[in-house]
Amino acid sequence: MKRLIPLMQREWLQHRYGWLMMAGIPLGLSLLLLSFGQIEIGNEEMASAGAALPALLAAASIGGSMAVIFLIATFSSLVIVSNLARRDHADRSVEFWLSVPVSHSESFAAPLIVHLLLVPAAALVIGMLGGYAVSFVVVSRVVGSAAWFGLPWGVMLTASIGMMLRLLAGLPLAMLWLSPLILLVVLLTAWFRRWGWVILTVGLGLGSYLLKMVFGQPWLNRITVELVQAAGRSLINGSQSDGPAKGVEALRMLPAWALEDFGAALHALATPLFPGALLFAAGCFFLLVQWRQRGAGAAG
Amino acid sequence: MNAAKTEATDMLVEARDLTVRYGSKRAVDGVSFSIPKGRVVGLLGHNGAGKSTLMKAMVGLAQPEGALTVLGLNPIKDRVALLERACYIPDVATLPRWARVGELISMMSSLHPHFSAERARALLKRTSVGPNDKVKNLSKGMVVQAHLSLIAAIDAKLMILDEPTLGLDVLSRKAFYEMLVDEWCDGERSVVISTHQVEEIETLLSDVLMLNEGKLVLAISLEDMDRRFVALSHDAAVAEQMAAAHPLLKYRVGPGPNGSAALFDGAPPPDVQALGRRVRPSLVDLFVALTRKPELDRTQF
Repeated sequence: MKRLIPLMQREWLQHRYGWLMMAGIPLGLSLLLLSFGQIEIGNEEMASAGAALPALLAAASIGGSMAVIFLIATFSSLVIVSNLARRDHADRSVEFWLSVPVSHSESFAAPLIVHLLLVPAAALVIGMLGGYAVSFVVVSRVVGSAAWFGLPWGVMLTASIGMMLRLLAGLPLAMLWLSPLILLVVLLTAWFRRWGWVILTVGLGLGSYLLKMVFGQPWLNRITVELVQAAGRSLINGSQSDGPAKGVEALRMLPAWALEDFGAALHALATPLFPGALLFAAGCFFLLVQWRQRGAGAAG
Repeated sequence: MNAAKTEATDMLVEARDLTVRYGSKRAVDGVSFSIPKGRVVGLLGHNGAGKSTLMKAMVGLAQPEGALTVLGLNPIKDRVALLERACYIPDVATLPRWARVGELISMMSSLHPHFSAERARALLKRTSVGPNDKVKNLSKGMVVQAHLSLIAAIDAKLMILDEPTLGLDVLSRKAFYEMLVDEWCDGERSVVISTHQVEEIETLLSDVLMLNEGKLVLAISLEDMDRRFVALSHDAAVAEQMAAAHPLLKYRVGPGPNGSAALFDGAPPPDVQALGRRVRPSLVDLFVALTRKPELDRTQF
């Protein structure tokens, strides 16, 4: 466990510039385009928003910024993780890493924690903070900068932080739901190099089709779809006990909704599919460790 | 190398009937040896003889059959504990290209309980590599220098070096070997080193292991080697008589008709000894004798 931190530090050292660009470029571009580009909002939308327009614009900016940075970070993390088993083979430094006193399971666990949890989590925080800057530009351009300073900041902050905490809490659940697919890709890439993705895609696609059409068994397709949907619901379950609220009132109710929504995401874990998925992921992780232990990691 | 001479507790490495397979191929084939503390062991063999595989097995990176303990540990089951006390430079290793040397020192400090960052920086100062240098901007020799500085900064009991000076110029190689002997070998720690530059390390070695096609053809201390193997330099005129005594190897020790020599395992008969003058067999000659077919006559080359 004590070696996880330095192994995580390795990820920072290796990917820090990529991460900074990943967050900085979309935010920078957004600020640039929104500062000098044309922002058009239809009259109908402006009329229906009424006095809540600045707050809604700010909320949309913050939410949009969070979503964009989070999606970019998560996608790039998934790409990095998919090649995890063989990433040190390109510069042949795998032998160096194998010669340090770190267990094979730690060697896999540390980057998984960093790329699947910490990086998306950091992206949410950065996205939210960047979203405030974006909201300033948007609100200033549409209704004037005074409106931004006059926003109901108590509501805005609790809503944005509530939303961010909701996504942060759902992130580990989402990754656990996706872990069978993610670790299967890592394992297939370890075994078959670049063909891992192809084998997974063709295997799932063709396998699902054949099972359903030839044998009348739709379970593979159903499980795959259910895993992805469950991961999505872990982040936003979409539960709503009260009636739909509008405008600032909706923002005021967002923290309570987030808590309720997270409860629903937790409740969704109570299905046989979840422990089954974890068991499958643990099996993939075990096989990865075995692959590395056998020296396959060194032999390439 | 001789277990009878040393207490069992002094053994840093013990292998009994050790085999490592890659598929159906036996890369290491039933070797048995032991390495006590305070020794510098040269692991010699042609390309593909099994040296790297044996070293990998010793640090838990290749699955062996048979019995193998290193520092009293099972290299596969206790790999992490073993690597805390044994440092290893693999033959094909390079440092991660994205890292700066200073970052690697910092990371090794966190990862390795017996790594001294101070010592690594001191060793690095003797090279042309700086802590702010990025590995991808270094030449191959500089990467090796940086890697050796990192490894030599580990307070280990056993150092396993697979072709450690590959890519280094002669001055850097000499500097490394001097550091190894002067600062690392203290009579308690042992080094296992494989290299093709046998002549350069012969004076450093206390023992030698020779592998040929996965099999151990010789495990001996250099003192015993001098006692056991006899080389006789002789005139060309007595070459046939020498050949009749079935030497391990016939080879040249100098130019001209008097520059021939014959290498024997054990003392040849007195009448054969009388035909020549005893000279010290070099490790290279012995290596050639034991890993090539004995009927080959190197005087013809």
